[in-house]
Amino acid sequence: MASLDQPTALERFINGILPENPVYRQLLGMCPTLAVTNSMQAAMTMAGATAFVLISANTITSLIRNVLKPHLRILVFTLTIATFVTIADRFLAAYMYEMSKQLGPYVPLIIVNCVIVGRCEVCGSRQPVHVAFSDGVGQSIGFALALASIASVRELLGSGTWFGLPVLPASWPAWVIMLLPPGAFLTLGALMGVVNWYQARRAATAK
Amino acid sequence: MIRYLAQAWLVILLGLCFGAALAGMQMLVADRIAENKLNETLAQIPVLVPGAERGEPATVGERTVYRALQGDRIVGWVVPAGGLGFGDRIELLVGLDAQAATLTGLYVLEQKETPGLGNKIGDETWRDQFQGKRLGTPLTVVKRDPAPDSAEIRAITGATISSQAVCTIVNQALTDEFRAALAAAAQE
Amino acid sequence: MDHLISLMLIAISAALINNFVLYYFVGICPFLGVSRRIDTAFGMGLAVTFVISIAATLSWTFTYFILSPGAPLSTWAWRALGGSPDTVVDLSVLNYLVYIFVIASSVQFVEMYVRKFFPALYKSFGVFLPLITTNCAILFGCLMVMKHIGPDAAEPWGLDSALVLALAAGLGFTIAITLMAGIREELDLADVPPSLRGAGITLLVAGIMAMAFMGFTGVDRGLAAALAH
Repeated sequence: MASLDQPTALERFINGILPENPVYRQLLGMCPTLAVTNSMQAAMTMAGATAFVLISANTITSLIRNVLKPHLRILVFTLTIATFVTIADRFLAAYMYEMSKQLGPYVPLIIVNCVIVGRCEVCGSRQPVHVAFSDGVGQSIGFALALASIASVRELLGSGTWFGLPVLPASWPAWVIMLLPPGAFLTLGALMGVVNWYQARRAATAK
Repeated sequence: MIRYLAQAWLVILLGLCFGAALAGMQMLVADRIAENKLNETLAQIPVLVPGAERGEPATVGERTVYRALQGDRIVGWVVPAGGLGFGDRIELLVGLDAQAATLTGLYVLEQKETPGLGNKIGDETWRDQFQGKRLGTPLTVVKRDPAPDSAEIRAITGATISSQAVCTIVNQALTDEFRAALAAAAQE
Repeated sequence: MDHLISLMLIAISAALINNFVLYYFVGICPFLGVSRRIDTAFGMGLAVTFVISIAATLSWTFTYFILSPGAPLSTWAWRALGGSPDTVVDLSVLNYLVYIFVIASSVQFVEMYVRKFFPALYKSFGVFLPLITTNCAILFGCLMVMKHIGPDAAEPWGLDSALVLALAAGLGFTIAITLMAGIREELDLADVPPSLRGAGITLLVAGIMAMAFMGFTGVDRGLAAALAH
């Protein structure tokens, strides 16, 4: 199955982190990126749940890739993803109840996170298990980094804390707007501009 | 039939495997989840009703309430109440004494009020005002220091509507009829 | 009368105050992707409204009769099979699987139906239909319906509430995406810094729109108070 021009496990891993970062480069998985990033704790729990689903689904897809009928592909992906999301959701409700209440409907919404279906389609259904696994890990780290960058900005400016620990002095006038929905759009928009600017500058110096 | 199976065996097999996995997961954690939900309320009962050691669910007037117990004696009631806030629904737990005549505490289970303003309804300093309020006259919100021994609650600066919403929810939940039913149930 | 008021509150809340896109951040992918031109954006909005109404109706039916704890049909089946009458039959672990399949199959079905019987309609929004399966807004609608069914729900919803929610949510999505498309058509003429072009500026504009929509907060409360008299 794996032809020579397919990326290797290492390339898949590295690609996921920055060059093909799911949020900044592929513009996928926007709902959780915006919705749960008003505190680092919520963002990291979300990143963990997504990583679990992404890695498991990618690996399973890769295991069954040789017996998978092409026209049933999407059906099987959805079935797999929905099952793992339910498992993650129940696990959070049982062992991290407060967090599961805070994340609310955004845990089940992982099912329609385009990153996961996209990875199953692009990598899982074409390449062997170890490649699919490292691709899942790489993409998850990339996703977690993206969430962390947005959540750091929002939590620092919005409540002067990071992971719930006070960082900025108490005199910091918390920017409430950063915790509210508009803050999410503004932060992501600005960060996306910074990432594009950085990429463009690197491309220019490389020439 | 055979052709159909040749196409779909994988989906059916996966469906069965995943079904089993979900059933297993459900059996493992279902009790724990239910316990989490109940504990969220029960854990607040000793805080909301002075002297209470534990709580148990009960039904009074077709509503679910919680008896606050010291040993086997009822020392108060905890009543869940909810309604529209400024942002979204607010869910409260209201602590009452056994005769349902005095408020003994208030706890905010769920709210999505504006961070930094309305979400201060969750702060203990604000909630503590409700302690010891005599019921019978509806709670009202004022923008100054409340008169002593009155049913007045001081509004949170910049969040009068959220403060008003909490008082309205409490007023609507604790009708005279319902309080009489609670007091009667405590006698039994 | 009270029921009508509560339906109206659900509608205002879903369409304006807690707008799916600008408050709950669901349906961001089409919001960024299909908002270049007003007519396509409007078509996408209609398609979402259509599918979300069907999905919400179906998921209400499934949840109410089969999935929620103590649902009538599953309880009846359990007893018919000889299960003990004291057990509360709870199939809610299957919720997400059922919803996603309800959405996927209703999208397929709607696409076939519209293509066959309403070719003109198909031309205007049919192309967006396959995209909608992975649109979070639809699943989110189903999840909101789920939250209001079963013993834990504070105010249990009937089918009418679910339908009103779906229609209003679709309307809110259409408003948001059409407004955004209008702004983006003008933005084409503006001198946007190169690194912000595309998604960057769209997100910043969405941020400002979200701020504007925050102005609606509290409208439902005021309206409810006014109507109660």
